Parts: sequence; structure tokens; C-alpha cells
Amino acid sequence: MISMILRRAASSSLSVFVLVTLVFFMAHLTPGGPAYSILGQKATLASVAQVNARLGLDQPLLKQYGIWWWHLAHGQLGYSYLLNRPVGALLWSYERNTLVFYSAAITLSTALAILLGLAQGVWFGRWPARLIGAFQLGFYAAPPFFVAAMLVLWFAVQLGWLPASGITDLRSAHPGLGAYAAHLVLPVTTVTLLTVSPLSRYFGEAVHEELGKDYVRTARAKGVGFLRILFAHVLRNALRPLVTMLGLSFPYIFTGGVIVESVFNYPGLGWLMWRSALAQDYPVLIAIVLIIGLLTVIGNLLADLVNGLLDPRASYE
Amino acid sequence: MNRPRGSLAAGLALGGLILALGLVAPFLYPADPYALHPAQALQAPSLAFPLGTDELGRDNLALVLAGGLATLVVALPAAALAFAAGLAYGLLAGLAPPWADKILMRLLDVVLALPSLIVLLFFAALVPLNNTSLILLLGLISWPGLARLVRNETRAQRGRDFIFAAEQAGAGRLYLARAHLLRVIAPVLVVNGTFMVGDAIFALSALSFLGLGVQPPQVSWGSLLETALNIIALDPWWLILPPGLLVFGSLLAASLTGQGLLRRWGEAR
Repeated sequence: MISMILRRAASSSLSVFVLVTLVFFMAHLTPGGPAYSILGQKATLASVAQVNARLGLDQPLLKQYGIWWWHLAHGQLGYSYLLNRPVGALLWSYERNTLVFYSAAITLSTALAILLGLAQGVWFGRWPARLIGAFQLGFYAAPPFFVAAMLVLWFAVQLGWLPASGITDLRSAHPGLGAYAAHLVLPVTTVTLLTVSPLSRYFGEAVHEELGKDYVRTARAKGVGFLRILFAHVLRNALRPLVTMLGLSFPYIFTGGVIVESVFNYPGLGWLMWRSALAQDYPVLIAIVLIIGLLTVIGNLLADLVNGLLDPRASYE
Repeated sequence: MNRPRGSLAAGLALGGLILALGLVAPFLYPADPYALHPAQALQAPSLAFPLGTDELGRDNLALVLAGGLATLVVALPAAALAFAAGLAYGLLAGLAPPWADKILMRLLDVVLALPSLIVLLFFAALVPLNNTSLILLLGLISWPGLARLVRNETRAQRGRDFIFAAEQAGAGRLYLARAHLLRVIAPVLVVNGTFMVGDAIFALSALSFLGLGVQPPQVSWGSLLETALNIIALDPWWLILPPGLLVFGSLLAASLTGQGLLRRWGEAR
């Protein structure tokens, strides 16, 4: 088990290294450059050269690449060109928002997926399961921008119950947590609706499969109650695909979705990545890519670990 | 899965309807999508404008139809390109000797991990965005999934006796691929090709929604949604529902058709 995890970690670190390198060179080879984002599109060549010299962008590319790793080794991610702030602190201020947003959404959709999946497995083939199936099919195909737009249209514009975008109420001097929570409702609902469908689909299938197995029949025959079988045995065995899918979605908890965050003007990491990519703010962009890469690796490893705990046989596959 | 019966028929019908709306209807509906009627800006649906007008007073029905055409003429060739690239790469890796297969798969892992947004931004800065470059860009980022699938299928099939027999009889790799493998994995290819059409429509709409897809003055379903969202406070439901439902319908049609085919062939096997 441990050797497998070490091996996987080593090969995935290599992938992350290649990924960061590729993105570094792709970003730096893109025409234009951050000087134009700072000075505007009509900047003179002389002022552009001056900014490039100040940012170290006039150095050979390989040297810049070396400097980037050298700084990383000293725990520094550099400064944002555009906002003139240390990347670490900048990322953290956006990361916090994404973390709150997505942990709420993923927690909700996991709970909902377990409920829906159990219902689907128990009533397989009958109308409650068909109803859930139709819901899953619909939201599986629903594009996020459409779901988000419809929610805003109904609950923010037509009914006026909830704020449509941002995270604070600009009209009040001390918006407080209540305003933040209100601003979270629509984005969290959007992501929950969109993620519950794939999560519950696989889980429901697994529950149905487990319920047909011999150990369930044996347990029933010796008089174990149905609910006890369901929660003590079936749930545990059926959780494996759900855990794998959650592990795969782990990076999203930190990076968020560019589209959902941009619809709601939600200042999270996805939104920051989109903006820094557009403005060619390389230090921010590459730091985010590094984080995504690392989180993908960690998410995969966590899923393997938890699955190994749920079913020790899995680790020998 | 306990999908409702007849989902294949529903998927094909919905898909056909959307293709007709996007590829044929723009030539039948006479109104000019780019003609401005400032006096009638932002009007709800009426007899004169069946789907209302946008904030510039353009006929929304004409815009939605033109947007469908613009979306489909990019998304369909892009899906075809991604399909061909994925199939070729997958077959290559699947038929290659193990060491080459390992390298090709490692490469694929990196390509799969590249944030597609950054790849797109990179190329969008290098080349001007038009239909041709968008087809190439979308094709470029959407092939790795199919490549992995084809490679795995090919590897799995290669262990089977009839392939071994053909190899022993001296069949070359190209002959093997053409005469045996393609036939065996055809169902997988058709099902995933269907999904890829839906994925391409979604990817292009998402890109256009972010401003990197079909460029103005041309409109697409994604860009129509984006402009409608900018004035959402004015409650323009007639500008949001049609393009949104059409993207949704395209994805649903692809999903239903693919799943339907999967079920039909799964039962036949």
C-alpha cells in the first residue's frame, strides 16, 4: 500500500513538474505581455521596455525559469505584476472565498447524492428511481452558465429574494456574515445541482448492485433489519465509486469553476486564474497552475487511500 | 441504468430538431439578424418579433438561429477533428510496442492535465479567432479522452485469440487495425463520438460565453447568453431561455443518443 502510494506520488510529481514547465513557457511565449496590461494597449515601446526591465522580463527565458524555481525553493511565489502584491497573500485572499463556496457545495451535494443514490438503489425500476433518474439526466446535460442564469433570473431578478453577484452588500457599511451567506446561496445551489447528478448516478448504481449480492440475502435470511443492512453493509461497500469521484473533484474545491465564478462575479480562485490569464499576470497564473496540479495529485492519492481503508482488497489491484 | 425506454429515439429526435434549427432554419427565416430597430429595443415576444428583441433592437429569433448556425459550423467539424486525432493517437499507442506505449500514455497524462483554458488563451493570443482557428483549437483540446479510451480498448482486444492468430499469420499493424480492431471497437467509437459532439457544442458555448469563442459581430448561443446576462437586472427572460435551452437541448440529445446506443449494443452483446 505504502509503496504503491510512493510510486504514484513520484510519477505524479513528474507530471506536475512537466505541467508547470509547459505552462511557464507557453505563458511567456504568448505575444503581448504583462507590460501592456499594466500600461494600457497604447504604451510606448520605451515605457514597455522599462517595465519589462523592472519585472525582469528582459532576461533570457531560461534564466527567468531558473529564477522562478529558485524563488519557489525559498518559499516565494513572486509578486503579481498587475496588483503589485505578493502572490502567496493574493492567492490566499481568493482561496478563502473559493474554499467556503466549494466546501459548502460539495458537502451539500455529497449528502444529497447519498440520499438520492440510496433511494434509487432501494426503489430500482420503480417510479421514485425513475424520477431521480430523470433529474440526474437533466442536470447531467445542463450547462453551468444556463443553470446559473436561470437561478439569477428567478431568485434575484424576478422574486428579488437573493443577491445576484459579488460577496458583500455595497450599500451597507458593515455587511457582516449574513450578507456573505446570502450571496453564497445562488452560487452554492448552482454547483450543488450540477455536481449531485454524476455523484448520485454512480452511487445509485453501486447501491443497486450491492443489494443484489449474496451477503444481503444471507443477512436478511438470518433476520437482520433492512435499514441495518442498508446502512451498516451496503452503504460502506457502495461508497467506493463515490469516494473516487469526490477525490477527482477535490481540486475544484480549491480552484472553483471559472464559469460559475464569473457569472456570479464571485472573487474566487477560478475567477482570479481567468483574469490573470487574460492580463498575462504570469506569477499568479503559474502559481495557480501549480496548485491545481498538486491538488489533482493529492486528490487522486486521497481517493486511493480512503478506498484502501473501505476495502483492503483494492490496494492490491 | 434505469433510463426510460426509448431514450435513443428521444435523443435522435431532439438532435435532429436542433440540427434542423441550426443548419436549415436560418435560411428559411427571412429577418436579418443584424438589422437594428432601436425604437423597439428590448421588447418581449410579440407577433412582429416571435422571440422579442435584444437591447439593440435586433430580432432575437433571427439572432438565435444565426447563433445556432455559427455554433454548429464550428462545433461539428471540431468534434470530427478531435475524433480523428483521438482515434489515430489511441490506435498508435495501442498497437505500439510496450515502451513506446508507455511514453505516449505519459505524454497524454500531461496533455490531459493541462488546463484547457490556458492552452486556449495561449493560442488565442497567437492566432486571430475565426471559424477555422476555433475548429483547430477546439479539436486540439478535446482529443485526449478518446485517445485513452481507444488505446485501452485496443490493448484489451489485442489479448484476444483472433488478434493473436492474425498476428501469427503475419498480419501487419495497419491491417490489424483496419480489418479487426476498428470493427470490434466500432460501438465504443460511435457512442463516444456522439458524446464528443455534445462536448464540442458545450466547449464552444462556454468559450463564447467567456468572450473567446465566436467573435462579434457574429453571434453564437454562448455569446447571446453572455450579453443577456449583462443586462439580467432588466429581466430579459426571452433573451436567456432560447439560447440556453438550445445548448441544453444539444447536450441532452447527445447524452440520450449515446446512452441509448450504449444500452442497445450492451443488450445485444
